Amino acid sequence: MTAGGYFGRALVVDVGAGTAHTLPLPDDVLRAYIGGAGLGAWLMHRLGPPGVDPLAPAAPLAFVFSPLVGTPLTTSAKFAVVAKSPLTGMLNDALSSSQFAIAGKLTGHDAIVMHGACVRPSVLLVDAGGARLADAADLGGLPAAEAETRLRERLGKGWRVAAIGPAGERGVRYATISHDGRHAGRGGLGAVMGAKRIKAIAVRAATKVASAHPETVLGAARDLRERSFGPATAKYRELGTLANLLAFNAISTLPTRNFQAATFAEAPRLAAEDLAEMRRVARNSCASCTIGCEHIYSARGGKTMRVEYENVFALGPMCGVSDPDAVLAASARCDELGLDTISAGGTVAWAMECAERGLIDAPWLRFGDADALLRALDEIGERRGLGELLAEGSRRAAERVGGGSAAFAPHVKGLEMPGYEPRTLQAMALGLAVNARGADHNRSGAYEADLSGEHDRLAGGEAHVAAAIETEDRAAAMDSLILCKFLRGVFTDPFTEWAALLSAVTGWDMDGAELRRTARRIVLAKRVFNIREGWQPGDDWLPERLLSEPLQLGSGRVAALTPERLRGMIDGYYAARGLDESGRPDPADLPDLQLDNVVAR
Amino acid sequence: MGTPKAALEWHGSTLLRRTVGILARVTDGPVVVVRAPGQELPALPPQTEIVEDPREGLGPVQGLAAGLAAVAGRAEVAFVSSTDMPFLHPAFVRRVLRAAQEGADVGLPVARGYPQPLAASYRVTLAPVAAKLVADERLRPAFLFEQCAVDRLDEAALRADPVLAALDPGLDSVVNVNEPADYQAARARPAPEVTIQRFGPLANGHRGPEQVLAATVAGAADAAGLTLDAHVVAALNGDQITRDGETPLAAGDSVFFLSADAGG
Repeated sequence: MTAGGYFGRALVVDVGAGTAHTLPLPDDVLRAYIGGAGLGAWLMHRLGPPGVDPLAPAAPLAFVFSPLVGTPLTTSAKFAVVAKSPLTGMLNDALSSSQFAIAGKLTGHDAIVMHGACVRPSVLLVDAGGARLADAADLGGLPAAEAETRLRERLGKGWRVAAIGPAGERGVRYATISHDGRHAGRGGLGAVMGAKRIKAIAVRAATKVASAHPETVLGAARDLRERSFGPATAKYRELGTLANLLAFNAISTLPTRNFQAATFAEAPRLAAEDLAEMRRVARNSCASCTIGCEHIYSARGGKTMRVEYENVFALGPMCGVSDPDAVLAASARCDELGLDTISAGGTVAWAMECAERGLIDAPWLRFGDADALLRALDEIGERRGLGELLAEGSRRAAERVGGGSAAFAPHVKGLEMPGYEPRTLQAMALGLAVNARGADHNRSGAYEADLSGEHDRLAGGEAHVAAAIETEDRAAAMDSLILCKFLRGVFTDPFTEWAALLSAVTGWDMDGAELRRTARRIVLAKRVFNIREGWQPGDDWLPERLLSEPLQLGSGRVAALTPERLRGMIDGYYAARGLDESGRPDPADLPDLQLDNVVAR
Repeated sequence: MGTPKAALEWHGSTLLRRTVGILARVTDGPVVVVRAPGQELPALPPQTEIVEDPREGLGPVQGLAAGLAAVAGRAEVAFVSSTDMPFLHPAFVRRVLRAAQEGADVGLPVARGYPQPLAASYRVTLAPVAAKLVADERLRPAFLFEQCAVDRLDEAALRADPVLAALDPGLDSVVNVNEPADYQAARARPAPEVTIQRFGPLANGHRGPEQVLAATVAGAADAAGLTLDAHVVAALNGDQITRDGETPLAAGDSVFFLSADAGG
């Protein structure tokens, strides 16, 4: 009997052949990987041919739901999009939230996986009638939001759509998948979908799913809802994530001009405090969320924009741009093209530095030049001019340009770095270096340890290792349940509380210890996938700039992250994770992963 | 005095807690408290190391020998302080440390009319020299200074440091509390003037920097109408993050209050 909250099957669609079949998901696999990012990792092991080109037809792309989707638990309307990343060549999962998650799951599947490639641009439709393809020729070149609107008008009530923009169609390696104005943003999953000539996937609910103990779930939902109004979420409710910007600037943690500095003198122009006062027009929530972290601001030309810390950091300080209208316009342009703002901003910032050093012939591209930023984004989205190079991401671009530019290409494993300065957040430095997805602040929240006051954030060591592992495990659990991380502060005993929620939905008798083991299994499964796909020990590392250019802080201290210190933390991480000195797992641990086609040492 | 000097209260903290906190802010090595055998101490940060004088009542050179020996192999230079200097400023400690870091065996301030051997910097290698003096019952610091290179820092030399001159122009760092009247005078003085700034949702209408009087981070939080808890942290001078309300503040410090929920 399938556990509550699950259907026990995935829908696997060959969009090239126009056929579909269901893949049974046994209870032991679901219990071992839960859903979302965890189940997605298992599916990639199971369905992804080893060594496959992420943009080849054979590469699978999975939309993975989770047992909590469809329950009244706040922030649970989330899903993971999972594939081998065309940017990193490694496992990538990008989470998002909207009614798409609920409608997608209620097609009767715990995951929808597509592989193959269509002959012509198409839409994949999934509902009670199963999976089928429809022509999408008229949607070609449209921004994702416009394609979504047109499709919903065409298909009628009840359909939910996730679509790619022009960047995904053109194979930009950091293209996103969008739905309801939100994005599965990181790692280029939009390019994977575009390579299959799938402009959009549309889903419509066809059935229901029951929790094992609905009254318990309802009680927990009421309690969680109350807690979600407390101080742990105040930042998100009142100002949104952009509240980070001015605070990070004050503590030298705001990457600026491609990590050449950690403070931006013009940061106040982009501060949430000012923008909220002058420009905020609305506050929104994702589906099934009581926090409401989306702060909508007015932009030039009568437009409105949802603003987050990461897009403002990447398109603002990272590129030296301080004009709020320009940063909002750049964010809007990324949305229209379907570009991950972090990778776009990071890659453009790298190119600005290359141009200023004379390494690339683009005299128009300079730090602080808002028009140049917008031009670069357009060229990337259209893969023309310099954009042909920059559409490949900073790692590949630096390999082509040479001239020492790899030293300041702001990426780990090919994924551009988020707005957390590793030299002044040294637990986070470790988290960024070792994470399976690459430089990422959502799969490792180790900055929490740096900002806790319990560790010296400028002197990474053993305590930072333990903290980084703890936050990575918590992220793996939350990303698989799935619950929004903005809720994490309301839990006092997270694994125990999450296990209780999961047990109420599924009927399992899972406790906190089992869920913690599950989280560690998911972290290991991702690493093992990467090893299978060619990961090397040197991939767990940071850009040379961060290890060779100390930062002088206003307090008089120098923030230096030496290679030796990072090496020491990585060695400690490997040891604590039960990995060998080269970061590979003990073969004895592999059977627990319940994977086939695993390549061990 | 009626109360051990280490435990005397000053603007919400004890003199010893304050001294330990000021030194911890300035140095990157261990902070060691040398106490008399069995002496009770007020609450201290958990990372504070405590060693005992092997023999009680032998004076400052004995304490100096024990303290320097405790950090041997872990530091080259140490700042040695008595416990009763409520106005000790980090800028003073930095300036005095620099003298020993730049080659002298001892950086000895001569301020407010006296040499200040208990507000001075010492090379850690002097530990056995001090121990030998104790064994020989030559218990005055001057005997130690006879045997090593001393950089005497007069007031002009100290004030030549622009940061110190700006933040402690009267060299109050060396004012100590020997008599009840000294203590009463110290208590009568206001807490240091510091700058606070609240960020994000903590601002609650209070944007930008603000000057307040506060001797500890908790005092600054109180002035900001905040409480340090799971969701609120303080960044001292934009550097170390803390939730320890007893972290001492000195004139010219800035304290940023941030939301601990930094995700996004």
